[in-house]
Amino acid sequence: MITFENITLKVYQQTLLDGAYLHVAPGDKVVICGVSGSGKSSLLKCAVGALPVGGGSIRIDNLTLSADTVAEIRSHIAFIGQEPVLGADNVRDALLLPFHFKVHCDNSPSDKQIFQLLERFHLSKNILDKSCKRISGGEKQRIAILRALLLNKTIFLADEVTSALDLESKAAVMAELFRPEITLLSVSHDPEWITTCGRVVDLLNHQLAERGQ
Amino acid sequence: MTADLSIPAVLSMYALMLVPLGIFLYLQLGVIRDMLIGMLRMTAQLILVGLYLKYIFQLNNPFVSLLWVSIMLVVANLSILNKAGLKRSPFFWRSLTGVAGSTLFVSGWFILVAIRPDPIYDARYMIPIVGMVLGNCLRSNVLSLERFYSGIRKNENEFMTYLMLGATLREATRPYLREAIKAAINPSIATMATMGIVSLPGMMTGQILGGAMPITAIKYQIGIMICIFTAMVIAALANILLSLPVAFDDHQRLRQGIFIS
Repeated sequence: MITFENITLKVYQQTLLDGAYLHVAPGDKVVICGVSGSGKSSLLKCAVGALPVGGGSIRIDNLTLSADTVAEIRSHIAFIGQEPVLGADNVRDALLLPFHFKVHCDNSPSDKQIFQLLERFHLSKNILDKSCKRISGGEKQRIAILRALLLNKTIFLADEVTSALDLESKAAVMAELFRPEITLLSVSHDPEWITTCGRVVDLLNHQLAERGQ
Repeated sequence: MTADLSIPAVLSMYALMLVPLGIFLYLQLGVIRDMLIGMLRMTAQLILVGLYLKYIFQLNNPFVSLLWVSIMLVVANLSILNKAGLKRSPFFWRSLTGVAGSTLFVSGWFILVAIRPDPIYDARYMIPIVGMVLGNCLRSNVLSLERFYSGIRKNENEFMTYLMLGATLREATRPYLREAIKAAINPSIATMATMGIVSLPGMMTGQILGGAMPITAIKYQIGIMICIFTAMVIAALANILLSLPVAFDDHQRLRQGIFIS
């Protein structure tokens, strides 16, 4: 569950959100639409404490975002940006990176788990030894999502995650992220993604308005 | 005793500066004003240091020596923050703790454990040794702090990705910490590796010119190099770790207000 209550957000003195509300129930698939620069990506960043809000509160499941809860919230949520940073030299190290951190160090995935997910995302095993600098944007997006799935995350904040994908890869990613147990708050301009999401929310005049209501 | 240099002899050294001056004029580098200011400052500062070091050595009072060491530490600290592009107010005491702690610890070790002069607070040992260690710490701390914070600023997405993947602040900053420490110590490792072959170190050369036996000068040089290296590593690490609580907010975001704009 994700709840934004009365959120005010300013970035570089520009007001992006002014008293915005949004509730995303467990399992909901929500896409936020709006013109470029309206604050869609910033809203997602607020939910994981990457950007400070000017006012209001954000709740993830039963936790209200604060200095005390931000680490726990980040360990619950997967945030996938438009240009994901993998943060390691090669793909294998990138996939295993979070398992070097204290919070995940006891849950390292097996090779079998990694191979299964690679197959589901139409990626070959050979990619594991490739340099992260030498793989395409679409491959990076899939590796970032795959890494989040290895962490067993069920809340996804996805910012244009299919922008660099071909049709087949996009279908694979959507099949994973639109599973019933996944709660998805996304930003997208892709018509197919928008249609597939059960709820469309417009960011207009610094407010969030559910389409069709 | 070292042969003294007469005033005309010192002036003849200034004449040597006409060579770089001519080169700068020919290349139109636009650094002549800075060079002349630098020269004048160096001359004035060294004359002043010569005068009060003579006074401090004659007095040989531990409190006066410690006061002078304190002034050195504060000036070095301000210089570190300024050159690293960080504002003074949030970091002053933290950075001073790192620099002073590391410098005094290793200098104290060298003087109290190895040299053991009589009296133990002899200003002729305390001031030059602290000065040499501090001067090197200054350089390495500027490098490490600047590299650490510029690394995070340039790679903010990467840094935030580490946090999003569950890293604590210490874990998320570790890659930048490693790079910063490496940047700070690499020049010293290179210097140590070529010392005696490519370069004759200043302290050793000074002692030999002052009439000391080369073997004594070498022993002092080994001691001071180990002191400098140890202090640099401790200060670089301590300064970064001590700066973390004020450089990041309670959501582990880098505060933009800490940098000199």
